[in-house]
Amino acid sequence: MASSATTHRHSQTRRESPREWRRFKFPESLYRWAGVLLGLVFLSYSIIYLNIPLERFFTMFGRVGALITDRYYPPEIDYVTQPEYLASVWETIQMAYLGGMFGMAMAIPLGWFGSYNMTPHRRFVYPLARFVTMSTRSVHETIWAILFVTILGFGMMAGVLALTMFCIGFAGKLFAEEIEAIDMGPVEAIRATGASELSVMVYAVFPQVRVAFTGIGIYTWDVAFRAATVVGFFGAGGMGWYLKRNVLQIETLRVSAILVSIVVLVLIAEGISAWARARVAKAK
Amino acid sequence: MTTAEATAREADRIIAARSRTKLMHSAIYLVVLAFVLWSVKTTIVDDTDWARLGSLADVLESISEFVGIDWGLVPNLWEPAIETIMVATLGTLLGVIVCVPAIWFGALNITPYAPITYPLARLMMTLSRSIHEIVWALFFVAAVGLGALAGVLAIAVRSVGFIAKMSAEAIEDLDPKPVEAIRAVGGSDFQVFIYAILPQVLPAMISVIIFEWEINIRRSSVLGLVGAGGLGLVFFRQLNTFNHPGVSTVILAILVLILFGEFVSYYVRKAII
Amino acid sequence: MSILSVKDLKVRYSASGPEILKGVSFEVDADDFFAIIGPSGAGKSTLIRCINRLVEPKSGEITLYGTDVLALNSRGLRKLRRDVGMIFQEFNLVDRMSVMDNVLSGRLGYVGNITALFRLFSKKDISRALSVLDRVGLSDHVDKRADQLSGGQRQRVGIARALMQDPKLLLLDEPTSSLDPKISREVMELIVEIAAEYKMPVLCNIHDVQLAMEFCTKMIGLQDGIKMFDGPTAKMNTKKLDEIYAMEVL
Repeated sequence: MASSATTHRHSQTRRESPREWRRFKFPESLYRWAGVLLGLVFLSYSIIYLNIPLERFFTMFGRVGALITDRYYPPEIDYVTQPEYLASVWETIQMAYLGGMFGMAMAIPLGWFGSYNMTPHRRFVYPLARFVTMSTRSVHETIWAILFVTILGFGMMAGVLALTMFCIGFAGKLFAEEIEAIDMGPVEAIRATGASELSVMVYAVFPQVRVAFTGIGIYTWDVAFRAATVVGFFGAGGMGWYLKRNVLQIETLRVSAILVSIVVLVLIAEGISAWARARVAKAK
Repeated sequence: MTTAEATAREADRIIAARSRTKLMHSAIYLVVLAFVLWSVKTTIVDDTDWARLGSLADVLESISEFVGIDWGLVPNLWEPAIETIMVATLGTLLGVIVCVPAIWFGALNITPYAPITYPLARLMMTLSRSIHEIVWALFFVAAVGLGALAGVLAIAVRSVGFIAKMSAEAIEDLDPKPVEAIRAVGGSDFQVFIYAILPQVLPAMISVIIFEWEINIRRSSVLGLVGAGGLGLVFFRQLNTFNHPGVSTVILAILVLILFGEFVSYYVRKAII
Repeated sequence: MSILSVKDLKVRYSASGPEILKGVSFEVDADDFFAIIGPSGAGKSTLIRCINRLVEPKSGEITLYGTDVLALNSRGLRKLRRDVGMIFQEFNLVDRMSVMDNVLSGRLGYVGNITALFRLFSKKDISRALSVLDRVGLSDHVDKRADQLSGGQRQRVGIARALMQDPKLLLLDEPTSSLDPKISREVMELIVEIAAEYKMPVLCNIHDVQLAMEFCTKMIGLQDGIKMFDGPTAKMNTKKLDEIYAMEVL
């Protein structure tokens, strides 16, 4: 094929090459323009349908700047350093790690049942486990918080359970994917010794995914902490409650102080999580 | 000292060391367990209004109220469901536009002036990811008023972090050879970006954007809780009127919407890769 | 009269790093097909990249068609680069773009940003691209993606891209090292023919001395950043080659 230049020169019947060229030939060009048109129609229709005031959008930038400087600045830092608020921060941390732990405890069996290669039963257990992880993940953590608050009343129990549900969905999916990626050799070897499925999990699967699971666990905790900062907004304990109270009372300087504290805390959590994950990866 | 004695002593030493580390580990586990139990006590046992909760039967009864589907509500769900999808889509698109400077500044190999622009981009990404969408929505409701626009803006800002981070990483990993070639034909920085960088990272970027869109459907389904329209508003209304089967219906609708999103994203990603 | 003259060129990549080129000078005339040979690490790639300033020299002088290359600002440099075609060892194509788009990208030095963004190349550019693709023998592969071609075909796309620039000088950076011997020969033949058709001088890094002796009219021998030989290919002999490649044996 690479010698086509030479063959071209030697063959006298040189094909008349077209001097015209278009990037998209006839049917594709039509589909392409139709696609672009459809996208634009959907876009403009959405803007009309949602009643989005475009003039407000384009003048927003000045307004947001003014809003921040007039009403949210300077943040009332004293408010977030008082012991009551710090106690709620501590509550938030506790909720996040308890929810993370309970969630992980349930996500590990779900990950096992929901991995196509290791599930005990492909026709029944596998889809069920997948459905459970998918639905816990799809329902937003705030909806879980509201549901648990409605059933169990205000308090941190609702928050812990909401975060548990959130972590089940989040970690369960990642765990299942991790198990699906293992090397099946050791599994066969342990199975060949006549071991039970549980022993296969413990001796052949778990050693392979231990490091990845730890990494996912740390990451899940990090994400759960971010979610924990707002479940309190709906009465499920932690610093979210302070946020709601101040939003309702239009105490904007306190709101901005709380937001600053959330960003700082999340940054710290992210730093710890990145450091821990790096250490776990090194220990591999 | 004979060799046998030495070996025996060595074995003793190893066994002793092992039991020491074992002891250490058990101590750590014990401390952790105590800490967990204490946390459980303070968060769950002390902070729960057990009188309000009542007996287990009462709890089961209040759960059973949620069982069932309010079929009468279903026709009213179409509009908010479409709204939710639209808010997610517009938000993702706007997020992609806002992303452009963040990606440009945030990829070490193309950032214009690394000591200033790179940390700036990282700050943008971190702010976007660390603040929860509910909080962003509250902020934008304050800025532009109730309605879908606040939701779109919240989703857009919340999306920037992830899309920009993944795209910047893709750009940092790209093959530098085409870049050199476009430079050598006399291309400007912009042309280098369009011809040598974008074609390489576009598939990865589109895949990330679609993944984010999927997540944004989930997010936009709750933004109604703070006044940004969509299914979240219906959810709130059902809850406030104690129509508990209606609440379950809305949750099911959200599930269906997300399944739809996963379906679309699966096929689009398959088509482009 | 020489077209390209390089005087006392020195390069080091970092202030503390080793000097890659230690004062190299040479002249290229209008009909020269120049080979730069030498062991790996001698500075061949660096030398060739200094001509269009993909590498910034530390000191020295480069004059191309009367222009002081090292004094150019970024606008002038773009102009200079579009006059200098370059062909790479690993082709440096954009794999996900079509052959046509890769070839058209050779025109980027001539067009503005908007044209580039929407790929609005003129009819003239497109018909030029088609005839260039004809010339390198790829007229059947215009709409294929670059990564669907074989190595030899990919290098032909690289040659076509360089020809799109309407170059006045061609730089070749190991154009055959990623190809098998038979295809290497074909590609070199094609380049020699094209250089004659376009009447442009060529500067070619090449590690394969056989190919260099066969296709090039003049040679520079580099060793550890120092010029060891400069003259017509006919004057090169085994003894001098041994000298140039002495380091490689050690």
